[in-house]
Amino acid sequence: MIRRIVTVTLENGLHMVPASEIAKAVRDFHGRVVLRRDNIIADAHSVLDLLQLRAECGTNLEVEAEGDGDALVVDAIAQLFALNFAVERPTAARRAGTDGT
Amino acid sequence: MIVKRGVAVSPGVAIGPAMVLGAAALRIRRRFIRADNAEAELERFRSALDHVCEEIATNERQANEQIGKQYGAIFSAHLQLARDPKLISEVDELVRKRHYSPEFASSHVLRKYAHQLQNLGNPYLAERANDLFDLERRILRNLLNEQKEDLAHLTEDVIVLAHNLTPSETAVLDRKHVLGFATEIGGATSHTAILAGALELPAIVGVGHFLTEISGGTTVILDGNHGELLIDPDEDTIARYRDAAQKARAVAARILSLSPRTAETKDRTRIHVYGNIEFPEEAEHCIERGADGIGLYRTEFLYLAGARERTEQDHFNAYRAVIEKVGDRPIVIRTLDLGADKVLPAEETFERCANPELGLRSIRLSLDNLQLFKTQLRAILRAATTGQVSVMFPLISSLLELRQAKMILEDVKEDLTDEGVEFNASVPVGIMVEVPSAALMAVEFAREVDFFSIGTNDLIQYTLAADRSDPAVAKYYNSADPAVLRLIRMVVRAGAESGLPVTVCGQMSSDPKFVPLFVGMGLRNLSATPQAVPEVKEVIRSLTIAHAEQIAASAMELDLARDIEGFLRGELKRICPDLAE
Repeated sequence: MIRRIVTVTLENGLHMVPASEIAKAVRDFHGRVVLRRDNIIADAHSVLDLLQLRAECGTNLEVEAEGDGDALVVDAIAQLFALNFAVERPTAARRAGTDGT
Repeated sequence: MIVKRGVAVSPGVAIGPAMVLGAAALRIRRRFIRADNAEAELERFRSALDHVCEEIATNERQANEQIGKQYGAIFSAHLQLARDPKLISEVDELVRKRHYSPEFASSHVLRKYAHQLQNLGNPYLAERANDLFDLERRILRNLLNEQKEDLAHLTEDVIVLAHNLTPSETAVLDRKHVLGFATEIGGATSHTAILAGALELPAIVGVGHFLTEISGGTTVILDGNHGELLIDPDEDTIARYRDAAQKARAVAARILSLSPRTAETKDRTRIHVYGNIEFPEEAEHCIERGADGIGLYRTEFLYLAGARERTEQDHFNAYRAVIEKVGDRPIVIRTLDLGADKVLPAEETFERCANPELGLRSIRLSLDNLQLFKTQLRAILRAATTGQVSVMFPLISSLLELRQAKMILEDVKEDLTDEGVEFNASVPVGIMVEVPSAALMAVEFAREVDFFSIGTNDLIQYTLAADRSDPAVAKYYNSADPAVLRLIRMVVRAGAESGLPVTVCGQMSSDPKFVPLFVGMGLRNLSATPQAVPEVKEVIRSLTIAHAEQIAASAMELDLARDIEGFLRGELKRICPDLAE
């Protein structure tokens, strides 16, 4: 089992697009991988779960994985946080995103 | 029990469980499935989800290409949501363990998560609830659409309740299991309504907003005679309706048994009663019910069953099938009446316009698309080598238009002659009189055609400026309006002066109360929906010409549609008490 602490540095917190990046990153990992904030535990495969973390900017999250390739999958998630999800968008685009489609 | 009223468009009473086809934005009520059906329902859910994923992937690709990757990423996130293991496992559990329908289960799960997001206290995340609602709508739309397709392959009897059914959806309804239908929108003479009559399905349209008040599986009584939908009726009501339906069937059986008799008035004036058809198979229904031939063959229905372009051979085969069925009885083939509510799917010539009823429809579309028009005319002329076939142009509004159509018919004859193809060169040519201008110019038209056929549905709509498919103006659409009756009288007189046969082929001639009026006005040819033929003949056999003329004279003196209708209903009650409601 591998554990690591990551910090959310996204201006708007861990919202839908970054959460979907996490789900995408762990898609091929069939073991258990969760993100924990206090007593809330989210399955990293599920965007619906990750959103429930309400992880705002500055929040520390614990990543925990267990299974074949758990070290790699934790690395991949940590990398996303370290790069601030390179997918984070300029403000205008974010606003467009609030409409859903 | 709740009673909803709509427009009765196809007679009969049906009692059975409701099948609710919601609009995409509708909230799905809790609905259960049969326990042993869970696997099939889940398969339906998975297949809908696959379609949703394909849709989202297409959106993502388009967004990436057209507006930029940062927008595409939104759809990429939606795609992850649609594949979310939590969503799939929770829906799976609700369907398997609690026997929820996939519609209700997916709506339930997504709304639960959406509400959680809204309550997290983070406005930015709260807005993400919209994305979940969007996914909910996508899934429901796919599930419901699938259900619409499934209307052709049902396993149990149902009464279909929908916001709207298009003519093509109506055409493919499973005739064995769909007992009837009611829709929120639509008017009495919409083509959906005409099709319901053709399929002999009890139907009500224009009920107004009611789908949210009913969940699937609820027992309903659909009374197509009075335009009523009874939701969740008690046992007594059901028994009463079953009883009434039984009696109605007995009357219908008696009249049907008399239908082979000739339609002659008591004083021995012969009235020809023809049938209106859309599908070749209906020709048989007409003959079985004692029709003297086919007074209106609506050919555009060739175009409703599929999106593929129809070849000359497709037309030819359909016409030959009808000709062979009716033998040497007359058949009037009307050229394509596409546009307005019947859109030509294979061609994109018809574009949405503000006023489709006043737009490029019917003969105008044919004259604008000569290839299409000529293909059909060739098939008609070739098919007409046996039998008594006439050709009729719809929606003629001016002499110039008639001359153009006739000229093209001559061109087609020349082409066929040049090619050495066998055809009938002397097919009679008539027009539908359904635009007030044609009725006003009937004397002039009579010099250039072989017969008139009065299409009351459109004639009423154009005379009274009331869209026949819009329930909001249904009260302005009155068959018995004196202005309409005067136009009909003009056409009958013009025909009589020139010795031309005149037929009435709209919905009005299927309504027994108008039969004495028409006969009294001098009409000797009526063309009705096949199931109305026995009734129309029964009314004729109960009349004398003198009596009918008296009824017509009295009706023409009244100045309100309401009064005329009431008067005619009273007269029918005296002539044929069985047929008056």
